[in-house]
Amino acid sequence: MGFDPEFALSTVPTILGAIGTTLLVAISSGLGASALGFCFEMVRRGGGTAGLITRFLIDFIRSTPVLAWLYFLYFVLPFYGIRLGAMSVGVIGLSLYFSGYLAEVFKAGIDAIPKGQQEAAKALSLGRLDTIVFVIAPQMLRNIAAPMGNYFVSILKATPYLAVLAVPEMLGRAFDVASETYRYAEPLTVAGILFLALALVISRAVKRLELRLFKDSSH
Amino acid sequence: MSLLDIWLGILQGLGTTAKVTGYGLIFAVPFALIFGVAQYLTTGVTRFFITAVIEFWRSSAVIILLFVFYYALPIVGVTLSAMTVSAMVLGLNAGGYASQAVRAGLQALERGQKEAGMALGLSRPAILVLIELPQALVAMSPTFINQIMQLVKATALVSLVTLTDMTFRAKEIAQTEYKPVMIYTSLLLAFFVVCYPIALLGRWVEARVKPGRGSPHGV
Repeated sequence: MGFDPEFALSTVPTILGAIGTTLLVAISSGLGASALGFCFEMVRRGGGTAGLITRFLIDFIRSTPVLAWLYFLYFVLPFYGIRLGAMSVGVIGLSLYFSGYLAEVFKAGIDAIPKGQQEAAKALSLGRLDTIVFVIAPQMLRNIAAPMGNYFVSILKATPYLAVLAVPEMLGRAFDVASETYRYAEPLTVAGILFLALALVISRAVKRLELRLFKDSSH
Repeated sequence: MSLLDIWLGILQGLGTTAKVTGYGLIFAVPFALIFGVAQYLTTGVTRFFITAVIEFWRSSAVIILLFVFYYALPIVGVTLSAMTVSAMVLGLNAGGYASQAVRAGLQALERGQKEAGMALGLSRPAILVLIELPQALVAMSPTFINQIMQLVKATALVSLVTLTDMTFRAKEIAQTEYKPVMIYTSLLLAFFVVCYPIALLGRWVEARVKPGRGSPHGV
C-alpha cells in the first residue's frame, strides 16, 4: 500500500476545517504569554525576594520542554481539584512556556530605552504604574515588535503539541482521520504541508508588519 | 513508590535522551555548516533552492515533521528505526536554526577580511576556511550552545514515537502510581538539571564573545 494522493486530497477539508481551533489556540496563547511575560519581567525588575524567585522561575521555564509542561498541567491540575478542558490546559501550558521567552524580549526592549526617560518620569513625579503605562510601554513596543512577531510564529508552530491532549486542532484532526481509516501517512503529511504553509504565510505577514512599523518610526 | 524510586525511574530514560541528542548533533552540525555557508556563498536560483531546504526544516512544526517521517517513510519503502528518524528530524530542525547563525555570522564580518585574504593571494575556499569561518564560529558559538539546549528539550518528543526517554518513563510510572505531582515535577526537574548548565555555559560564552563584536574596527 503506497502513498495515495487521492486519499490525501480527500482529507484536506477535514483537517483544514480545524484551522480555526489552531488559530484560536495560537492567538489566546500569544496574548496569555505576553501578559504573563510582561508581569514576570516587571516583578523581576522590581528586585527583592519576589524578583529573585521570578528570575529563577523564568530560567526554570526556559530550561524545560513544553511537552513536559503540558503533561504537568494536564495531570497535576485535576489532582488539586481544578478541572479544565484540554484546550484551556493547552493554552495555559503554551502561555506559561512562552512567557519565559517573552519576559526576555520585554527585558531587552526595556533595557534599550535610554535611562533619561525613567529619570524624566521621576522628575515629573509620575507614579510607578504611570511610568510603565505612559513612558516605558509605548517606547518598548517599538523595540519588541520584531522579536514578538517571531515568537508568535513559534507559538503557532507549538500548537500541534496540543494534539497529545486530544485537542482537535489540525494535527489532532489529522490523527482522528488516521485512526478512523488506519492510514497515517496521508493525513499527517497533509497536516504537515498545511502547517508549513500557514507558518510561512504568517511569518511573511509579520515581516511586512515590521517593515511598516519601522518605516513609520523613521519619519 | 518513594520520591527516590520515581527519580531513579525517570533517570533510566536519560540514556535515550542523551543518545537522541548526540545522534541529533551528527545531523545538525554538518547541516548547519554546509547550508549556512552555501546560503552565504550562492546567489540566484541556487540560493533559492538552498533557502527552500533550510526553510522546510526550520519553518515546519517539529512535532509534525517527526510524525510525518515516522509514518510516511515506511510507505515509500524507507524503513528507519525510531531512533534514526528522531535524530534526523530533531537534528535537521536544530541545524536549520543554527544554519541561520552561521550565515549571519559570516555576513556580519567586515568586507576587509575577505579583501585582505584576496590581497594575500589566497583562494576563495582558503579565505573561507582560514579567515571567515573561524571568526564567524566564535561569534555564533552562543547561538549554537543555545540550540543544543533546545535540542535536548525537543527530545521529549521522541516519547511519542515509542522511544523510552525520560518523558516516556515518567508517563510509564504515572500509569501504575497515582502521584502526578511528584512524577511530573520530577520530570521537569530532571530536564532542568540537564539543560540549565548548558544555558549557563551559553551565557558565559556570550559574555566572553561580545566585547570583540562591539568594536567592529578592531580598536
